[in-house]
Amino acid sequence: MKTHLLKLYMSELRKRRKKTALITFAIGWGALSLLLLMSFGRGISETFSASFKGLGDNILIVYGGQTSKIHQGLPKGRRIRLYPEDVDLLRSRIPEIREITPESFSRFEMRNGDRAVNRNVNGVNPCFGFMRNQIPQAGGRFVNDLDIDGSRRVVFLGWKVAEELFGDENPVGRRISLQRVPFTVIGVMKRKLQSSAYEGMDSDQVYIPFTTFLNLYSQRFVDRIHIQPEKREQSKWLEAEIRRVLGRKYRFDPKDEYANQIWNTVEGAEMSGKVFKGIEMFLAIIGGLTLLIGAVGVTNLMYAVVKERTREIGVKMALGAKRRHIVYQFLLEAMMIFVKGTMWGGLVAFNIVALVRMLPISYDVEGIAGYLLRPRFSADIFLLFITVMGILVFMSGIFPALRASRLNPVDALRYE
Amino acid sequence: MIRLNDIRKVYQMGKLPFEALKGIDLNIESGEFVAVMGPSGSGKSTLMNIIGCLDTASSGEYHLDDRNVAGLTFDQLSGIRNRKIGFVFQNFNLLPYATSFENVELPLLFNGKSAKQRKERVRKLLDMVGLWDWHRHRPTELSGGQQQRIAIARALVNEPPILLADEPTGNLDSNSGREIMEIFKGLWESGKTVVMVTHDNTVAGYAKRIVRLLDGRVENGNGRVAGS
Repeated sequence: MKTHLLKLYMSELRKRRKKTALITFAIGWGALSLLLLMSFGRGISETFSASFKGLGDNILIVYGGQTSKIHQGLPKGRRIRLYPEDVDLLRSRIPEIREITPESFSRFEMRNGDRAVNRNVNGVNPCFGFMRNQIPQAGGRFVNDLDIDGSRRVVFLGWKVAEELFGDENPVGRRISLQRVPFTVIGVMKRKLQSSAYEGMDSDQVYIPFTTFLNLYSQRFVDRIHIQPEKREQSKWLEAEIRRVLGRKYRFDPKDEYANQIWNTVEGAEMSGKVFKGIEMFLAIIGGLTLLIGAVGVTNLMYAVVKERTREIGVKMALGAKRRHIVYQFLLEAMMIFVKGTMWGGLVAFNIVALVRMLPISYDVEGIAGYLLRPRFSADIFLLFITVMGILVFMSGIFPALRASRLNPVDALRYE
Repeated sequence: MIRLNDIRKVYQMGKLPFEALKGIDLNIESGEFVAVMGPSGSGKSTLMNIIGCLDTASSGEYHLDDRNVAGLTFDQLSGIRNRKIGFVFQNFNLLPYATSFENVELPLLFNGKSAKQRKERVRKLLDMVGLWDWHRHRPTELSGGQQQRIAIARALVNEPPILLADEPTGNLDSNSGREIMEIFKGLWESGKTVVMVTHDNTVAGYAKRIVRLLDGRVENGNGRVAGS
């Protein structure tokens, strides 16, 4: 549109600022709701996803079990246990395994001077650390290959255990006793969000080299084997492969899911991811509907404006305004209401999100608050928002604008 | 310049058709000063609207500058109104929130003249009606006569050959009315074709030809004002 017409229309618009104030507020309110709901929805979704990765990103946790099917003449109800050799067996039979580690645990007393707690002690291999997103805090480290080779008595602490035993002091390099055997603390886990677990959260666990665990404690079998596939998409296939390999060794039906239980976190994450995407969409739709009410208000107002200014439209037509000049004017007016409403709605939304994000995140409280208080904006949210706005501007402005442009000039001039 | 051939206009009043114009034949040549007179309901306004391309006839032919107006689209008619016809209304019809300058500028906006051209034209026309000093004022700050002079400037800003006025002095006191009519007279002398609807015999006295309408027909299309 030509700028000189724009200038004219803007000057006309300014005359009606008061009349449009309420409806601008409604649009602002709608924009605010939509933006907030989308950003909070995104926040919940992302916090959830991060917390799910707290257990581990893209891993399968393999357990033993009890057979539930008769196989090769063997009865059901047989106990299947996994042994350390199974780790090497699986690695050699299934090349698609990227990382694999056994994990065995026992609940023991651990002590620093007169502070004592009972916690799970887990024997693991070095790759366990990054498979489970257990990042050491600065100055510390996780179990490494030398620890394994030398069966060293070293221990990596969950951050809550570290707090319980050492308070504010730095535990790295200090000694604690596990069941009266001295261990050196090599690191403390960095805080992370975690939403799912077995045997308690990682913050409450301590980790020692698997070889050390075997030497110190008399448990022959392993409790779990953690496996990470080369590719995320392989997880389902890998489940079947694991049961095939172990089923041949322990003679159970490879389709017997109870003989060899597998927790596939990839599948779980995908499923929950979908649920949270659904929640995100649901929230966006609610926000959109709020905005729609405002848009209906704009349409209503625009119809009233057209009526009120019928005579002016007639004058303009008499002076040579073409239909598009009239249409543009009313579309522009609808757009300006949206722009103004969106500006303050957006401003308020930004500030609310920024303020909420200033609240410290709590890693220890597994409540809704930890998920709710992480609202986030992203490019796709804005893209969606702008698209929705554009559609609503057009829809709410076009019908009154068309009505105005289709007025008969004679009738319009005669209108009182 | 303006050729009307058996123009009829039928309105639907409720269920009954009402024939406002019952076959008008009228030629107006370039440079004429014509007053259309007649009692209310005689069809004056309807005729003016048709001549002004604001309305279309139900039947009959209307040639403006040898161009048949029937069958033109709304936007084409808008173009004709913009370039060929200047309207002056009884109640001025100025945009209340716009300044005198902006009101006069309006027709130029619809045909995309440059800012420089617009400013020159508006200045020239406001000077002509003697109101350049008032170009920042809004209509509500002006007297009726001043408002009508602004409206005349607006009507002329695109240099249309035809000026259509519907009771241009109807809302003015007699002094202002006389001033306005002097302007019309001057415009006619400078070569414009002026067509004016009026009740007022004094006003009609400025015209060189009077067309009297009665019940939708031309009663006397060739009446000449005495002394001209």
